[in-house]
Amino acid sequence: MAALDYPRGYWAELTRAERGVTAFLVAFGALLLFGLLSGGLAPAYFLYLVGIGGMYALLSFGLNSQWGFTGLINFSVAAFFGIGAYGTALMTGNTSPIAGGFNPLVGLLVALVLAAVLAVLIGVPTLRLRADYLAIASLGLAEVVRTIVKNQRGWTNGTAGIRGIPSFFEGWPVLATFPTAMPTLEVVVSPGWRTAIDVPFVGLGLEFEIPASTLVLGTSFWRALLNVALVLTFLGASYALLRRVHRSPWGRVLRTIRSDEDLARALGKHTYSFKMQSFVLGSLLMALAGVFYAHLNLFVSPGDLDPITTFYVWVAVILGGSGSNRGALFGGFVVVAIRQGTRFLNEFAWIPFDVAPLRLLLIGVLIVVLMRYRPQGVLPPQRELIWPSAVDEAPSRPDSGVREAKGGGGGE
Amino acid sequence: MSDLEEAVDREVAADRSKEDVVLRVEDLQKSFGGLVATDHATFEVERGTITALIGPNGAGKSTIFNLVSGFYEPDGGRVEVNGVDVTGMEPYEVADHGLIRTFQTPRKLEGMTVREAMLVGPRNQPGESFVNVLTRPGAVGEAETRNLEAAERILAEFEIDHLATQPATDISGGQMKLVELARAMLAEPEVLLLDEPVAGVNPTLRHELADQIRRLNEAGTTCLLIEHDMDFVMELADPVVVLDQGSVLMEGPPQRVQTDPRVIEAYLGGGA
Repeated sequence: MAALDYPRGYWAELTRAERGVTAFLVAFGALLLFGLLSGGLAPAYFLYLVGIGGMYALLSFGLNSQWGFTGLINFSVAAFFGIGAYGTALMTGNTSPIAGGFNPLVGLLVALVLAAVLAVLIGVPTLRLRADYLAIASLGLAEVVRTIVKNQRGWTNGTAGIRGIPSFFEGWPVLATFPTAMPTLEVVVSPGWRTAIDVPFVGLGLEFEIPASTLVLGTSFWRALLNVALVLTFLGASYALLRRVHRSPWGRVLRTIRSDEDLARALGKHTYSFKMQSFVLGSLLMALAGVFYAHLNLFVSPGDLDPITTFYVWVAVILGGSGSNRGALFGGFVVVAIRQGTRFLNEFAWIPFDVAPLRLLLIGVLIVVLMRYRPQGVLPPQRELIWPSAVDEAPSRPDSGVREAKGGGGGE
Repeated sequence: MSDLEEAVDREVAADRSKEDVVLRVEDLQKSFGGLVATDHATFEVERGTITALIGPNGAGKSTIFNLVSGFYEPDGGRVEVNGVDVTGMEPYEVADHGLIRTFQTPRKLEGMTVREAMLVGPRNQPGESFVNVLTRPGAVGEAETRNLEAAERILAEFEIDHLATQPATDISGGQMKLVELARAMLAEPEVLLLDEPVAGVNPTLRHELADQIRRLNEAGTTCLLIEHDMDFVMELADPVVVLDQGSVLMEGPPQRVQTDPRVIEAYLGGGA
């Protein structure tokens, strides 16, 4: 809690990028708070968005441990996500053609096992070959999985999808009835704060005002809160795990493979086995995101396996900084903020066209700009990664980190 | 030398009378399509020596390195390390038998500091097992502390300890060669294969590298090196194995090799 005890010292130790991200997060948080208080953003919907953001962060963790750590190019993020979602849906959903009605924990387990099996199946033939083969094979795999899910009606209900998936806490003591047992709260937001900003040149006056409103926090709010708690638990556990393995000799071998696989082989590392472990680990995290999604949405369909998810996750990882866990976390939330935030832009009447359809274009522009000015991503891994107990003194300038030193050299 | 002796010498060009052989290459063959890169090459490396492998461009030196270290699979023949047949094994298995190689162009480990890049060297670290990382953090930490101490000690021996926390990609080419050599030593090799250790290195560092290789050798590491810099080879190596067109032309002490008419002819492009 150094941040609270010595705010000034903590701030001084941050890199420029970290300061920028912190400032951005504070500003964004203020904007969200304004949205909540002014009634523009319903609390339950806000929590739903946080859940989706957490889900993308989990997917980004998964891809980061494949691409960011080891350099494995996996274009089947959506397939592993879908396997996770369908795995648990088939076990728990009451329209499941296979085996509905199980406890969601069984669904979680089945989903993870399925994802691991699929990862090994795709890894065995491709991980011995050059990196590009995995890219091609995984791209194909994603389509194969989606097509099977869509057409094998006997197993998956085809395009009708699976309905009646219980919430993740179904059957748990206390938590199962928590949303309905909680009283409905009414929070009265008192009016009185208003401010006006004149935008120069355009001749517009923007007026911010918090009107009097009442926020009703009912069952749907409590349910959404539980889901957020669930995704935060998943995220926290995954982050702790990834942080530890990333700093371990295991993670170091992965990073060596990413830079130069031949070197790792010459030094006696069984690179195929390491690549397989990294691939399975990432796939499990992606399936975990799928499990969360199924129990959040309570309905899955083949549309959830659309390849677009894969590319959003790639954007998140590249944006955050390949190889950086907190970068992946940040990137995951930013992608959701862009995807969902563009819906709200239309509220501003002075924008003369429909912004929402330009979402993909915006993300594309963002990536191009990023690659031009900051190819290493917003929060690249900076400090050297040695098992913490082994290093007593940090390098003289920990934040002068390796990537920072060559930052800006876009052409390198 | 009588005619008969010379004929025998030609048939088995390499010295086969060594007592304590750490690396034995026997009748090794490899071709790429129609090109024969290694043509029944046979030679031995005796424990405790610095053996040089020289030959004109295209003689097949690098191919032999790749065959011996497991990066290529031979078409025929045998490779033995410490008496164990390692023919056709994966590089990591060959390394496990005590043979470590370096590369001609220094390999860059992006995003790592020098000492971090050094820590890739030690073999069989407990922390390289995913399960150990989660279940035995204490053991992993102990091994890491030991390895880090060893890495810093070796960096000090190589007189590059001031680089320890520098980014591994920001040091000069010669320093990278030193780091690569130092890292290979962390893997505790019985025989070290050095692929052009001083290519593209300035004269000062070249002497330094020669001194370091000699020091390692005196401490018990057997070296087999490929090098184009003849002064370097003649100063450091004994014996010298000469390769021409994929097979061993001759072997001998540096002075004899330097003056041998067959070697001169091979280098001057007589070829056949």
